[in-house]
Amino acid sequence: MTVTSVTPPRLAGSPDKGEPRRRARRTLRWLLPLGPALIMFVIFMVGPILWSVYIAFTNETLTGAASVNSQFVGVANFVKMFSDEDFRNSLLLTFVFVIGSAVIGQNTLGLIIALLQRGRGRAVRSVVNGIVIAAWVVPEVVAAACWYSFLAEEGTLNEALAALGLSQDWLYSAPMIAIILANVWRGTAFSMLVYSAALSDVPGELLEAAAVDGASTWRRLVHITLPLIRRSILSNLMLITLQTLASFGLIYALTGGGPGTDSQTTPLYMYEQAFRYFEIGYGSAMALVMLVIGAAFSLVYLRLIKVDT
Amino acid sequence: MRRAMVASILTAALAATAGACGADTQQKNANGAKEIEVLYKVEPSWPHLEKMLKQAKTQYEAAHKGVTIKLTAVQGNNEVYYTKLALLNRSAESAPDVYLHDTFQVNADVAAGKLAPLDDYLKSWPDWATQYPDSVKQAAKGPDGKIYGVPISTDTRGLWYSKDILTKAGIPVPWQPKTWADVLTAARAIKQKVPGVVPFSMYSTKPHGEAATMQGFEMLLYGTPGGTLYDDSQKKWVSSGKAFTDSLAFINTIYREDLGPKKADAFNPKLGEKIGLDWFPNGKLGIDLDGAWMSGSWKPTSTKPWPQWAEKMGWTPMPTQNGQAPGAVSMSGGWVMAMSSYAKDKKDAWDFIATATNKDNTLVYSIGTGDLAPRKDVAADPKYTADNPSVKFWSDLASVTHYRPAYEVYPKVSAEVQKVMEAMTTGSKTPEAAAKEYADALPGVVGGPDKVIPGS
Repeated sequence: MTVTSVTPPRLAGSPDKGEPRRRARRTLRWLLPLGPALIMFVIFMVGPILWSVYIAFTNETLTGAASVNSQFVGVANFVKMFSDEDFRNSLLLTFVFVIGSAVIGQNTLGLIIALLQRGRGRAVRSVVNGIVIAAWVVPEVVAAACWYSFLAEEGTLNEALAALGLSQDWLYSAPMIAIILANVWRGTAFSMLVYSAALSDVPGELLEAAAVDGASTWRRLVHITLPLIRRSILSNLMLITLQTLASFGLIYALTGGGPGTDSQTTPLYMYEQAFRYFEIGYGSAMALVMLVIGAAFSLVYLRLIKVDT
Repeated sequence: MRRAMVASILTAALAATAGACGADTQQKNANGAKEIEVLYKVEPSWPHLEKMLKQAKTQYEAAHKGVTIKLTAVQGNNEVYYTKLALLNRSAESAPDVYLHDTFQVNADVAAGKLAPLDDYLKSWPDWATQYPDSVKQAAKGPDGKIYGVPISTDTRGLWYSKDILTKAGIPVPWQPKTWADVLTAARAIKQKVPGVVPFSMYSTKPHGEAATMQGFEMLLYGTPGGTLYDDSQKKWVSSGKAFTDSLAFINTIYREDLGPKKADAFNPKLGEKIGLDWFPNGKLGIDLDGAWMSGSWKPTSTKPWPQWAEKMGWTPMPTQNGQAPGAVSMSGGWVMAMSSYAKDKKDAWDFIATATNKDNTLVYSIGTGDLAPRKDVAADPKYTADNPSVKFWSDLASVTHYRPAYEVYPKVSAEVQKVMEAMTTGSKTPEAAAKEYADALPGVVGGPDKVIPGS
């Protein structure tokens, strides 16, 4: 969409060479620079995606006879999936994880931090931004290691709580809370940045005028700020929902989906089936279901953004 | 001007990517030198195989000019290694030429056509006929009767215990449990009289994968009357019956009575390392159902030697359920060096396997790991038995040992076993309910109800 707007307007007075030729040249003009990227995209993205869609309907495995001689099994993988107790459990946990850590956690916390930073001095802003973004910049596995050493049996939290006699194996007694907290801690920076940018577009005069009219801080937030940044909220929600839906590394490194299946979200279950038990066909079928869920979420958000404008 | 710049940037970028893709193959073909890639695993507490392979690489390269051995290590436990190997084996380009392989995965890879049979090479290798006992030769025999790997180790399983802790608990050492009840009684005594110590440890969760199935569940099941996963005479898988439920009930008792490790430890993929390097040397564990190789953590070749282990530790066979004949039970498996069917220079790859498994190198490995030696000349070497008083005991367990039904579907059956064991660990199901879950799942993983018979 943006590509066409980049094309410079044709100079007035240039000789007319006929419509089809001109169109071909214009197409070439954007296709040529995009070409290499498109080729790479097709080879490395579209190819594997189509392959994984295909094997979702086969009994393909990573080794064994089925790996050389896989058969088309129709929707058998999907039938199996929906009678699979562990899969249903993983879907439920995925929803809890997405709602808890992204929609509620990162989103609200990011907004609050952005709001609190408005109008503060440069020094305060850089320090707060620095700290929040640092959590975002560290690799997923490092973030998981930090939280592991905080929550583990001999971890910082237990050392601090030992005096109160409250120490326990947090990763085992409350695995979902552990991974939700870790993900909020890590992902809040993204929402904060989105909201900082959005808030800077809210005209100061509007808020001042409302304040002069006697509107409380709360009313100014609900009736002026939030409606003005509504589109940013929805785009942010969409982005973090999709990110969190596919989150794997953090949970894998922190709890491994355990104990048992207590924090085994769908990406982890998918990994286990595909790469531990070598059922790559079944794993791909789950990936396809996740894709549909992600697409459904995005459609809802996009629809809301459209309704709003 | 601008267009020219864009074009040149694109060309540069393309060239860079193309270069990156091609670099590997170019390197390999330079001046016609051959390269054999060897895949193996390494863990902080398990450097032994790497030591052996490095030594073999030096010997091999000195004798074979123009061939380089590329050692590729996978960092992590067995489960990580299986996954990495399966993924690399997906394509002829990425498959290693020679690799360490767990015997229970051999049949699945034979069915997939990933492994090269070694019979032709073995015929002209005198060691095979003279040094390997017949039972060991079977380790990597495919369903077609061909041999797909040269064993580097074999093993047996049983109970390790801390003499100090058992004495404190009022149990006379040497401890000789005759039944499962004796084992539980000892564990209960430790819990009661030696606080702060884990009475009994076994692998019982999915993070431990095959170790849970084999060291844990099968050590129980094969010690019940008629207990087995597979009926050899009918060639069918055995569903869960009383034997299966009783085995689950034992695990259930361990965890419900808090005789086992805490949940956090039961699910810790590094539990084995913890037991070997911390719990036993520091007197935090009473009894451990584990393998012959445990002493590898304590020997001088370990990362954290424990010279007193021979006096502090005791070992005894895992008894059968009610003490019925033969009185003890053990499971055996082991690892082999195997050759990929994709290997380009098969003769060179074989020569490396033969070098890696020669007497010297096998000795280095066996002394380091504490695994049982597959070769007669290594087993007879005084250096092998010198610093390991337990080795005779573990070798003798071969008389009561069982082998896994390592058919192609076995890894999937094993996964189902792990699932129900884990339910015992967390207490989410009763043994009866878990046994039923296994019975319901089994036909699906072995290829239909006609491949299953009811359990005894």
